[in-house]
Amino acid sequence: MTFVPYSSDHVDALQEIVNVAMGRAAAALAGVLGTFVRLSVPRIRIVAAADAGRAVRVLVGEHAKITAVRQSFHSDLAGEALVLFGEDGCTDLADLMGYDDCDEPGMQTELLLDLSNLLVGACLCGVLEQVESGSNVSFSAPSIIAERAYVHALVRPDALSWTHSLVVELNFSLEHRDFSCHLLILMPEEAIERMRALLDRVLAAV
Amino acid sequence: MSLPVLVVDDSAIARKMLIKALPADWDVEVTQAGNGVEALAAYRAGKASVMFLDLTMPEMNGYEVLEAIQREDMNSLVVVVSADIQPLAQQRVKALGAIAFVKKPVSTEQIREVLGQYGVR
Repeated sequence: MTFVPYSSDHVDALQEIVNVAMGRAAAALAGVLGTFVRLSVPRIRIVAAADAGRAVRVLVGEHAKITAVRQSFHSDLAGEALVLFGEDGCTDLADLMGYDDCDEPGMQTELLLDLSNLLVGACLCGVLEQVESGSNVSFSAPSIIAERAYVHALVRPDALSWTHSLVVELNFSLEHRDFSCHLLILMPEEAIERMRALLDRVLAAV
Repeated sequence: MSLPVLVVDDSAIARKMLIKALPADWDVEVTQAGNGVEALAAYRAGKASVMFLDLTMPEMNGYEVLEAIQREDMNSLVVVVSADIQPLAQQRVKALGAIAFVKKPVSTEQIREVLGQYGVR
């Protein structure tokens, strides 16, 4: 299929929308952890599905070893959200959340699933609401798809039935702590086109 | 004389939205900056009696802009306009001399309210 990339206005509008949503997610995270969360400038790419893995590696860092939580979402836009936690994140997190023992595997898993759920929910609802597409959004239960794995094993193009992917990357980090995580939102071609139409509407209103 | 207003945001759309929200009856001369470095240059050129400042930006972020102009002379009414709605972010920018913190997206009423207290109307 022929594919028209987003204009710089579309990318700019989406980046701003994601930025506002990220602010809400960060405030929710800060509320739970009781610490200040630093926000990144959201990064947006549209890539052929075959290049999605490479795009993610470049955004997250080639040599990063991560634990990944996946959650899919469906509304009038559908796609996948991934939250990638760095290797040392958990100890700090457990400490912040007031858990005594992070070595207990069940506890660790539960903590990462809870935080992922919080970030994905706040971010996506924030985005969808701003493009007025937020009614009836549903999320799958979060699940861990990789544990302490290299990032290159994460997104396998052959496992995607997509031709293209919109990749949105956000980074949340904490002050005075080692913890940081990436939130990736991946959307296939139908959602890219739908989002383009929604962004047109946003742009026309400005 | 027109009021020099500087709008600082890395997003062109966000700048456009803010400029659109400025009260239509104000006589303003708007300058735009896409990052903190451009903002400081415009500030030093006297183009910012009022500054609307985003926080999350590449090159130089909003906190760094506030620190820099505080060191110089703080000759501007700075309204921070941000998506970062953490209470600590609001406290910090006020400690750095911002007169107000408003969350995105901004309304005309909010602009009138925060600047009206400083005699801008």
